[in-house]
Amino acid sequence: MNTSLRKSIRPGATIGIVHIFFVLIGFNMLVAILFARVSGVKQPDAIPAPVYLMAYSITMGIWAGVAAAQKRKQEFRQVAFAGCVAGGFAGIMAGLLEFGLAIILVKNINVRDVLTVLSANFIKGTLFGMQPAMGVMVTVMLFALGGTLGGALVAFWNSTPFQAFLNRGIRFTKDSVQKAQGVTHGKNRLLWQIASISLLALAVVFLPLNWGSYWNYVLGTVGLYVVLGLGLNIAVGLSGQLVLGFIAFFAIGAYSMALLNAPLPYHLMWGFWPALVLGVLLAAVAGLLLGLPLMRLRGDYLAIVTLGFGEIIRILLKSDVLTAYTGGPRGIQNIGGPTIFGRPFVTDVDFMYLIIGAMLLAMFIYSRLQNSRTGRAWLAIREDETVARASGVNTVRYKLLALVIGAAFAGLAGAIFASRNQFTGPEEHSLMASINVLSLIIVGGLGSIPGTIMGAFALKGLPEILREFENYRLLAFGALLVAMMLSKPDGFIPSRRPKFQIPIQPETREAPKEQDHD
Amino acid sequence: MILNIENINVHYGAIQALKDVSFNLNEGEIVTLIGANGAGKSTCLNTISGILHPTSGRVTFIDEEITNTSPQDIVKKHMIQVPEGRKIFASMSVWENLEMGAYIHSDRSQIKKRIDQVFERFPRLKERRNQPGGTLSGGEQQMLAISRGLMAEPRVLLLDEPSMGLAPILVEQIFDIIREINHNGTSILLVEQNALMALSIADRGYVLDSGKVVLEGKADDLLRNPMVIKAYLGGEAIGSEL
Ligand SMILES: Nc1ncnc2c1ncn2[C@@H]1O[C@H](COP(=O)(O)OP(=O)(O)OP(=O)(O)O)[C@@H](O)[C@H]1O
Ligand SMILES: [Mg+2]
Repeated sequence: MNTSLRKSIRPGATIGIVHIFFVLIGFNMLVAILFARVSGVKQPDAIPAPVYLMAYSITMGIWAGVAAAQKRKQEFRQVAFAGCVAGGFAGIMAGLLEFGLAIILVKNINVRDVLTVLSANFIKGTLFGMQPAMGVMVTVMLFALGGTLGGALVAFWNSTPFQAFLNRGIRFTKDSVQKAQGVTHGKNRLLWQIASISLLALAVVFLPLNWGSYWNYVLGTVGLYVVLGLGLNIAVGLSGQLVLGFIAFFAIGAYSMALLNAPLPYHLMWGFWPALVLGVLLAAVAGLLLGLPLMRLRGDYLAIVTLGFGEIIRILLKSDVLTAYTGGPRGIQNIGGPTIFGRPFVTDVDFMYLIIGAMLLAMFIYSRLQNSRTGRAWLAIREDETVARASGVNTVRYKLLALVIGAAFAGLAGAIFASRNQFTGPEEHSLMASINVLSLIIVGGLGSIPGTIMGAFALKGLPEILREFENYRLLAFGALLVAMMLSKPDGFIPSRRPKFQIPIQPETREAPKEQDHD
Repeated sequence: MILNIENINVHYGAIQALKDVSFNLNEGEIVTLIGANGAGKSTCLNTISGILHPTSGRVTFIDEEITNTSPQDIVKKHMIQVPEGRKIFASMSVWENLEMGAYIHSDRSQIKKRIDQVFERFPRLKERRNQPGGTLSGGEQQMLAISRGLMAEPRVLLLDEPSMGLAPILVEQIFDIIREINHNGTSILLVEQNALMALSIADRGYVLDSGKVVLEGKADDLLRNPMVIKAYLGGEAIGSEL
């Protein structure tokens, strides 16, 4: 067999295996449902119309085609053909699978004990509701079609005219960006800043009103996780201390709000704001108390001890001994909300504004800290604690400070969270929640604000939006983490410290120009 | 006497790393501590700079006891340690590394002046001022580490094995620099395994073995001492003939 053909079959086989795996876990149906949604079907059935499953098959084919066509410097026709072969081969594997599935269907073999998704309806759906032989044939054809398309796409992408066009586009964008920077960094800078800030303010004021309750709820959760993530980022991203049981501080904030501002068990009803302030303070104090004995520990030990701390707090909250004080496993209900200018905050829209406020505050404090002397000290500690000490940085104080501020952020998020949900219970503050926060800052990019927002959206927002994928969340997390670590080891939006390019003579800006004349 | 160490004992948990160690440094001198791996040289420097505290004994700087003073307060007294192993902040630029060296100072214009002085002495660092420290070559990193120490305007510089892992020509260069720093008025306590080089620029030396001072004296005398020649110069005397 000639090598060119063999090179195409290998990616085809890979995609074929991926497809088989997808079908066995029912993922093809989910993609089809997603397609149906995107094309405007409001409530797609569990088995959506065959068109959408066909779209899935073509997509897989395109994937195979693209994989096969990459790195090929050949004629357009040859590349498209390579894609067709890859797609076709994947299609044949898919067809064989469907053939097997058809047998299961006809002979009425029960495999659902092992492969839970393979119901009769599912198999029929996968065969596009056609006769088995017909379904298999269509599958192979669709895969091959997709493969050809994918190959052609790559060939077109790599073709000289398109690359030239692309380069022109890139150059144009670069030029425009430079011109825009002239506007934003020149003497119009202030004007520009005012304009963009007021635009943002307008969006902040009017968007929540039109989002509706559901979106405000989802995005409110995301916002609180941004605050929480920024808090953890101060400890982990900025000062380099791996804190694992971070949700404990969130729990302290939430329970402060609950105990001080709910009818049961104490009926203290302090009101939202005093409870919020006390919650933040208590979380900060807890950070300090946890930090003091931790200052001698580094790395793994720090991680393990903080992990233990998180679990202790959760277990205490639900323990029988403390049930009278904390509500035990059932938690605390009917937590009150805030009142601003005599207007009670109750709806998700109201809370969205509060959360946006908290988020802006957290982001402001975070960025001020990051670019300050304190931020520099944290960076030094993260890089090398011994040298930081030898340079005169009071490492103990700065490490404690990072823990305390981080904990305060978490307390703030927790208190608002409890008040908005009007409920808090011990299981909200489980180890999984801690891991979630840590994952979101790592996925987003350790230490960076946009990264934290992105991570919070990806890990807290997306699962809400893709409700159907709920069962696959861990699978998706895993896949996402692996893919990310491979392609972006520093996270989606890695932290970029402001790098000041120091010219030869920092005092005189003209210096480089003079050199040009020499 | 600018620095006086009297009978210090230092423990790491149950392990005793220094046993009744005493030595001193006079204003304007270069004094070297030599000894084999694990003799306790770094432990000495860490104790002086406040990173470790002795279980007994006294450390005096100028006329002040600093035995239990914190590292940052000792840095503020202008006694600066350059830790062993070319330790620099790898992801900070050369410029930022130097700024970190002046962390305890807040006068911006003063810091800039110091950096300019450092760049005058090390033009190579000036060229690389925006480059992350971690991307410098080994020799450049050592120069950066020493320069960072100089940023705090040291009266006493504690150097921990500045020649470690450097090619012979770079070692010569580093020792020239040390001598020059000393000429400009900084007293230097130099920890070295390269005993020949260290003793050839030092005024006095102490030999440390298993946490004890076993020999001390003028550098020239130590260079001629049969025990020193056997234990620390044997290999190097041959090496230097190559
Ligand atoms: N953090 C520590 N914990 C326990 N023991 C330590 C620690 N640091 C050093 N030691 C021990 O103390 C002794 C002296 O170590 P030190 O680092 O001072 O030696 P050194 O003379 O600097 O050696 P080298 O030339 O290899 O740098 C060694 O036996 C070492 O194992
Ligand atoms: Mg050492």
